[in-house]
Amino acid sequence: MTVGESTAASTCARCHTAIEAGDLRCAVCAQATPARQSAREERREVVVVRCDGCGAAVRYDERAQAPRCAFCGSVTHVEGVTDPMEAMDWQLHFTVAPEAAQASLQTWLGGLGWLRPSDLRQRARLEGLQPIWWAGWAFRARALVSWTADSNAGSRRADWAPHAGQTELDFDALLVPATRGLSSDETHALVGSYDLERGDARGQGPEGAFVEQFDVQRSAARQQIIAAAHAVARQRVTAEHVPGTRSRHVRTELVIRGLETRRCGLPAYILAYRYRDRVYRAVISGQHAGRVIGSAPYSWIKISLLAAAVATAALLLLTMR
Amino acid sequence: MPPTAGWATLCALPGRDVEVIETRTLECEGCGAALQVAPSERTVVCPYCAAPSTIERPATRDRPDPTFTVGFVLDRERAAERARRWLRTSNPFARSAFRAATLDATRSVYLPAYLYGAVAHADYSASIGEHYQVVETYTTTDARGRTQVRRRTRTETEWRALSGRYASYVRDVVVTASRALPNAELHAVEPFDLRALRRYDPAMVSGWTSEEPSLGQQECLELGRQEAQASLEHELRRFMPGDTHRGLRYQPSLQDEVLDLVLLPLWIFAVRYDTAKEPVRIVVNGQTGKVAGKVPLSPIKIGLAIALLLALVVAFYLGAKP
Repeated sequence: MTVGESTAASTCARCHTAIEAGDLRCAVCAQATPARQSAREERREVVVVRCDGCGAAVRYDERAQAPRCAFCGSVTHVEGVTDPMEAMDWQLHFTVAPEAAQASLQTWLGGLGWLRPSDLRQRARLEGLQPIWWAGWAFRARALVSWTADSNAGSRRADWAPHAGQTELDFDALLVPATRGLSSDETHALVGSYDLERGDARGQGPEGAFVEQFDVQRSAARQQIIAAAHAVARQRVTAEHVPGTRSRHVRTELVIRGLETRRCGLPAYILAYRYRDRVYRAVISGQHAGRVIGSAPYSWIKISLLAAAVATAALLLLTMR
Repeated sequence: MPPTAGWATLCALPGRDVEVIETRTLECEGCGAALQVAPSERTVVCPYCAAPSTIERPATRDRPDPTFTVGFVLDRERAAERARRWLRTSNPFARSAFRAATLDATRSVYLPAYLYGAVAHADYSASIGEHYQVVETYTTTDARGRTQVRRRTRTETEWRALSGRYASYVRDVVVTASRALPNAELHAVEPFDLRALRRYDPAMVSGWTSEEPSLGQQECLELGRQEAQASLEHELRRFMPGDTHRGLRYQPSLQDEVLDLVLLPLWIFAVRYDTAKEPVRIVVNGQTGKVAGKVPLSPIKIGLAIALLLALVVAFYLGAKP
């Protein structure tokens, strides 16, 4: 993933994870980050900390939880853990125009299958089309993954046999949704449709595109990203390394290295269309017109006919025996 | 009595002599007065102008510069209230004199400790138990003497050998760097909320007693390794697959080890409940308010409780007999 210049201040000396401004310790391995370089003062043996405002001696005040001047009350700032709200730093470009999104909706409505109303495509009326950049994280990392699992490979009297292993995995350009506006099904359908290199700090898109704000702080974001790495590791270990056709008790432990994270705006269209007296929603990727997910009506007449046909066939089979 | 004997006496373990500490004389930056400073202390308050001073000594391997500080949150009154409540409620078998005792000497201190971190690797082996069901038939005789054939399901365990490699980060292991407070006493008032860590700055300890490390780095490294290995065993037990396991063996290796010196806030109280006995030291976490100390138990209360329990058992047994 090369999503532009890294905004990290430096990297951790132990696990090479990107260190951001305000980090006292690495988020992955907890190694202390180097102190900010300040003008070197001559080292004095006895130091009296003085207030910048009035020159009186400063003492640590437990009520203010900071050094405070007892004379003028001003509080001295000491570097602590910064935990700001996440803010977007990379917006992907829209490569699908609004007209193409509308056309894509029509194509999608026409290809939903026989159980849908026959006139769905003709009678559906577009009621709203809103381009948005929805919030998510893109990360990449390497991890040494230790795993254990039970599987049916090699089982004897019991249904399961134990297995273990250790492998290096690369996580490249994985997306973790941070949106409140899209459902998990919608984001799951969209994540594979993006080219993370097609973007910049501001993004290009249609007029009036809404930019969703992140609503979590950095510490919570990191927990979600690391949890996502664990989940992906478990899936990949189950699919690629655990032998056999069935497995259970898949346990993994990760030593993550070189974690880099970008706060992304991911382009999509949210469409509302009306069929008869109900409004339905569909979401289309802003970079892949063919990636559509949404809700659509069913034809209850067709469903009833199908159910009747199946019941009739079953009855005939039973009577013929 | 040396000027630092108050703190040293308070922190001395029962039965051990107080070490006589050589002091140094430094000049106060506020008024130029001569300050008596023990090598074990990082801060001092001038007795003439009350200016709080921090002593910045050149860093050595066993006395590195602190990296972090956790600031005090509880003031003296709140810490004392927590301690008094703990005296009353800590243990129902505590001596009555202890529960009613008043707090004697009170001191606050920034205790030196190390945050230990590493990458833990382990080659492990174990026997993994996989359960399976066995259905068996058996014959039995009913009340009328008729033979009946019945079936029952029994759970058996198949044991399979497993070996592998495990790796994980060891994070946030806190070990004491002070001879005055053993590791077990520090653990009794943990955890500290490390999200409140601040980069060390003399202003963070100004006006408060702050101690220099008195345990060498190698000693602290060993303490950190012991805790990391105990935690590693716990992780490995949860990591094993199967329905059960036994015979877990592992060969640990701790790599990329790091020790960061952190100053932790503690309130220390002395409680004298019996003039014939040593005062009891009570430690209060200066950030969270958690209290710990060794509670003197009353043998009479324990004996009465056991007698009451026995009496209840006998009464229940006698009442249940037809």
